[in-house]
Amino acid sequence: MIRHALILSLLFAVQAHAETPQQILDGLVQEARRAQQGFTASATRGEQFYRARQTGGDAESCATCHTQDAKAHGRHNKTHKDIAPLAPVANKERFTDPAKVEKWFRRNCKEVLGRVCTGPEKADFTAYMLSIK
Amino acid sequence: MGVTYKNLAVLLLSIVIAAFWIGNGQADGEVNFPMPRDKIYLEECGGCHTAYAPGLLPARSWRKMMNELEDHFGEDASLEEPQQLAVLRWLTDYAADASNATPLMRRIAASIPRDAAPQRITETALFKYMHDEVPAYIWKRAKIGSPANCGACHTRANEGRYAEREVRIPK
Repeated sequence: MIRHALILSLLFAVQAHAETPQQILDGLVQEARRAQQGFTASATRGEQFYRARQTGGDAESCATCHTQDAKAHGRHNKTHKDIAPLAPVANKERFTDPAKVEKWFRRNCKEVLGRVCTGPEKADFTAYMLSIK
Repeated sequence: MGVTYKNLAVLLLSIVIAAFWIGNGQADGEVNFPMPRDKIYLEECGGCHTAYAPGLLPARSWRKMMNELEDHFGEDASLEEPQQLAVLRWLTDYAADASNATPLMRRIAASIPRDAAPQRITETALFKYMHDEVPAYIWKRAKIGSPANCGACHTRANEGRYAEREVRIPK
């Protein structure tokens, strides 16, 4: 009985931090609406953003490291370290931890764009990732 | 004392324990480095590159590096203060010149001039010596790409293990 209670409480403890990719997207859409009233996320815009060639940073585009197919393994442009797939359909861990999502947007937007991403950009990008089947 | 299931079970268990002990033991002690036992290190540092063993550089190198994370080899790798302090602690505790350093770590520390704080492991004398037989075309293979990508060949580099018998050079 005590063991059951322990396992149950552990499950809840884990769930308190984890979110579904859809919840993460909803949160980003809310954030985008604060910057742009009536905003709705677009997977199409997200895909354009993902593939677009940028000039502000060291990496040319998101696809430089994550490849043209976000379901595939990527490779860091400088260190050549393997990067696990980004699309949740290929990697269940992606877009489940809001802190991690924020951290990687912060780092990678700087690396590709040379600036932080806007709320709408992040929401569109995430909508595209979730739309990949 | 005849052969009983109990005897056999004890024998089998002993073999398994011995095998486990040998497999994980210090047989390759010279090329195994102590690693931070904390997922912060693996996540924050190992997120972009091999989670390099702290013992590959002296503490002064790591201190300099952790003070310049906003420009970390051209990238902004800055951390929040609690993570920054935790990582720095692991790096200095297990640095090449730490008090509990292994003989190999001491060799690394001794090979670096006192007034130098190298930032690239590949520029240290021991790295060059250990890799002098690796021709340039191998480093350029797609799955390796750069000498910074330890894990491409040292299959257990993220655990601080660099034994030659665990090296698998990708084609």
